Amino acid sequence: MSGRFSAAVDYTLALAVLLFAWWFATGPMGLPTYLLPSPLRTWNALVTIALTGELWRHLGFTLQNIVLGLILGCIAGIAIAYVMTRFPKLAVWLDGPLVILQTAPKIALAPLFIVWFGFGVLSKIVLIFSLVFFPVFVGAVAGFRALDPKMKDLSKLLGLSSIQRFRQIELPAAMPEIFVGLKIGAVQALVGAVLAEWMSGKVGLGYLMTFASATYKTPLLFAAVLLTVVLGLLLHVALTILERRLLSWKGAARG
Amino acid sequence: MSQSERMIDIAGVHKTFVADHGTVTALEPVSITIKEGEFISIVGPSGCGKSTLLRLISGLDQASGGSIKLDVSGRKRPVGFVFQEPVLLPWKTIIDNVRFPLDTSGVSRAQGDKTALDLIKMVGLAGFEKALPRQLSGGMRQRAAIARALSDDPPILLMDEPFSAVDLLTRDNLNDELLRIWQSTGKTILLVTHSVEEAAYLADRVMVMTARPGKLKCIHNVELPRPRGEETKLDPAYHALVAQLRRDLRTPAGEAH
Repeated sequence: MSGRFSAAVDYTLALAVLLFAWWFATGPMGLPTYLLPSPLRTWNALVTIALTGELWRHLGFTLQNIVLGLILGCIAGIAIAYVMTRFPKLAVWLDGPLVILQTAPKIALAPLFIVWFGFGVLSKIVLIFSLVFFPVFVGAVAGFRALDPKMKDLSKLLGLSSIQRFRQIELPAAMPEIFVGLKIGAVQALVGAVLAEWMSGKVGLGYLMTFASATYKTPLLFAAVLLTVVLGLLLHVALTILERRLLSWKGAARG
Repeated sequence: MSQSERMIDIAGVHKTFVADHGTVTALEPVSITIKEGEFISIVGPSGCGKSTLLRLISGLDQASGGSIKLDVSGRKRPVGFVFQEPVLLPWKTIIDNVRFPLDTSGVSRAQGDKTALDLIKMVGLAGFEKALPRQLSGGMRQRAAIARALSDDPPILLMDEPFSAVDLLTRDNLNDELLRIWQSTGKTILLVTHSVEEAAYLADRVMVMTARPGKLKCIHNVELPRPRGEETKLDPAYHALVAQLRRDLRTPAGEAH
């Protein structure tokens, strides 16, 4: 408890120092607003779009894409990893194409996704999906392959159905490795979401950034950047809470 | 209660594996008939096929030939199996682990909880229902594994060196508790062990197996009186049997190759 408290104090202190440095650079040092807007101007820009409701539209869009991409990427990553570990022959066939796709820089594919899937929400989710899929897939393969053979004996002895075996034994056993992949995937998802919005569309935090920089609204640009930082933190916190709940049995999950 | 004379009927069962350099005989033909409620120990060195025999009886592996008949009238899960390691699901509490076979065969939660609690009490883990496996000692985990193996009330209990990973004192305790459980449930038990003392102390009959190739060398009837306890270990007949088992295992047949 006291450890957690002192950690909170540390964080607050560090944040205060950062904020002070920021204020100092813009105030007494006199950096111009187009280079670095003051904390107050940034805050005002944020409040303005929050009041017009624009903020929530952009934030909601980005968040929705990230969550959808994460969920779809996880389901596909786990499903394909599971099928590949269950049917090793299939793995021989799929290994090659998957390695090529995995090593291809997904960011470089982003323009292609726009060509294929249009300027709307679909191309964005496809990009996020492609970024989330591989780390989750790699983690899940490692998790499923590391299953104790004695667990297989147990499920055979109990005559478990395929679904029971997956739900009750294989998935929970692989969960620690899946989470390693998911945490990497979540960071990638945020990058992918913002990047996709830079390139096309009229909504989202990424779009807000390009709009602000194109119109020299540096305070707004700053506000949008800070929002993505906060979004990243929230994502991290959400995953840590989920991890604590799902992996508390490991006894070592402390973020 | 009428007891089956041929609870486990093994006739000419053998097992060969296909390895890189041809076939390997894991188990030469074995035949034995085991009565309901009998306690059988199987001793032998590593590689004598004793675990293989257990896996064949449980249906985990298929025999290369011969037949195994279990007089269990079509039960879905005729055997409970206790492995060398507890093989508990680490994300489930002790009670959830013990109830697992019931949960996966459609028994109601209330009924399952009742059975699991009774078993947990019987194996001496009362008070640890909500603990996770990692919070328990090796001996306690193995107790939980025994409770799980018994939870859907299989007539046959197969144990593959269940106590080899726990310290000697714990092992002695667990042996006595196993006898108590056996007497109160009337299960047919087959227990594989390295320890000739354990084999002699527990069983009605001891199967002695030798290695390379694995085969059944002889079967000893254990005439020591029941219930067994500390005085059994002072009985000259017990010591004579232990010595005999040692000799059986040490003869050239066991060391050939």
